[in-house]
Amino acid sequence: MKAIPYGTRDFLPRDAELKIEIESKLARLFPSWGYDPIVTPTIEFTETLKDVDDSRIMKFCYNNRDVALRYEMTTPIARLVATRLKDSPMPLKLFYLANVFRYEQTQAGRQCEFYQAGAELMGQGSVAADAEILALAIKSLESVGLEDFSICLGQVEFARGLMEQNRIESKIQRAIERSIERHDLVALESIVDSLHLEKSAAGALKEIPLLHGKNLDRAYEIAGNDKSRRALDDLSEIRKLLESYGAADRIVFDLGIIRDFGYYTGMVFEAYTPELGMSIAGGGRYDRLLFDFGMACPATGFALGIDRVMLALKNSDRQKDLLISFASGKISEAIELATRLRSEGKNVELSLTAQTRDAAERSRSKKNFRELIYLE
Amino acid sequence: MNREYLTIAFPKGKLFKLSRDLFEKIGFTAEGLEEKSRKLVISNEEKKIRFIIVKTSDVPTYVEYGAADLGVIGKDVLLESAKNVYELLDLGFGKCRLMMAVPNSQRREKFSDYANTRVATKFPHIAEKFFNSRGMQMEYIKLNGSIELAPIVGLSESIVDIVETGTTLRENDLVEIETILHATARLIANRVSFQLKFDRIKPMTDALRKILEEEKA
Repeated sequence: MKAIPYGTRDFLPRDAELKIEIESKLARLFPSWGYDPIVTPTIEFTETLKDVDDSRIMKFCYNNRDVALRYEMTTPIARLVATRLKDSPMPLKLFYLANVFRYEQTQAGRQCEFYQAGAELMGQGSVAADAEILALAIKSLESVGLEDFSICLGQVEFARGLMEQNRIESKIQRAIERSIERHDLVALESIVDSLHLEKSAAGALKEIPLLHGKNLDRAYEIAGNDKSRRALDDLSEIRKLLESYGAADRIVFDLGIIRDFGYYTGMVFEAYTPELGMSIAGGGRYDRLLFDFGMACPATGFALGIDRVMLALKNSDRQKDLLISFASGKISEAIELATRLRSEGKNVELSLTAQTRDAAERSRSKKNFRELIYLE
Repeated sequence: MNREYLTIAFPKGKLFKLSRDLFEKIGFTAEGLEEKSRKLVISNEEKKIRFIIVKTSDVPTYVEYGAADLGVIGKDVLLESAKNVYELLDLGFGKCRLMMAVPNSQRREKFSDYANTRVATKFPHIAEKFFNSRGMQMEYIKLNGSIELAPIVGLSESIVDIVETGTTLRENDLVEIETILHATARLIANRVSFQLKFDRIKPMTDALRKILEEEKA
């Protein structure tokens, strides 16, 4: 059989159908929020895609120039906006559906060619823009059928503020950022200990990856400088706006999330579902990227991994929503309840004979239902 | 990922008992948690904890995929696996070091004199990184055990291997040339589990840290 190159895949009809279904849902959603589609070339000059890990980029020679397959979509869009769209009225709201390429050790959910959908909001530095991007990311995941997911929201300036407060030199800052990003708490501890800081300052730095929760109280306690406090104020305002979108319940603050792209300058986030061992979407604010292309312009955006969403949807199918079981004499009630819940869109299986509560619980766990309702 | 249970992967071998005893001190244990257990998944139903016991080098894989939320693994194996997992705590036990050794009779004058020779090792990735950082290209021969045998029978000029006491080296007339890294056991976590089960993982890590600090004091 003829092989295909490492890290690529064929989509057979069932998978292709699911992929197209997801993409068409998103292609309808984004315009309804005022976002216009955009398509860029698959290849870019290598010098355009700076700031990326050189070992993971697929390069070749084309017309005697160094070109590379696009590594992600934010940089090509920033290039386009800073050149051909620079005189358009701001803010610019753009979305894309595209394949991108990275050389990686492959595994389920990590291929060398993979598909992304995303939105970029350019020309707006306000928290309202960040809140819109977050709300749109949440809506995107919901619209493709994911129910069980959380958004972990951080702010890169919080950690930067703490490092500047302690006058840590930039090379060590990079090392600290890397250990926070990877949540390598052992490395973080040893780097911080080697700096011989005051005990409270060292403790604060070590605590960054553990600042996780529904509120920012602890983070405010250790934020001993204006930059870090402003970062937290920023997050509080974003969350407040998300309440109006009805999306605040999805948000968990996590100041250890700083993402692995050097270009982020403000809020950053990642979306997680228990159906998959890696993030399914992520994004953040990147106010300096367009400046590097010659145009001072704040921007914020996100991308979701279509292959990962497909995996998560397939995994969640395996766990069914709900089992309804009943004590003897309660079958009619059980049927009525099952009918009602199904009409609300839940997957419901109804046990067909009366059972004890223990027996019902056993079949719930054996058949891997998320929830049991027992009528007695 | 199972939302209800916290799944912890312990490695077989010498780290197993140390891991089990440490976790027992914070009440994370289960009936029948033995290395030779015939059950593959050992659960504590009351505390909603599951233990799995797997081959050492597989621990990072289970954790990276989220099949286990947490795992205990030596830093040497973790580095070699290059898996994308969170590293939460240095557990202090399982101390060893990874080093390069050669037969006593074949010592060379300068370190760079070993360039372009063959290295037998269980850790080709770490070894390659180490030699690259010294600007040396080597030929790596991946073996799965009895590494010290390779230079004796002429399979390689040197070895990169783990030593704890140095007895094996002496018995085979090998001398250590360079230490590559010092390793201890680490507590690792899946990225998503860390976020979605933070409320269980954080207190557990704190409790372990406290025990380790008390033991150190």
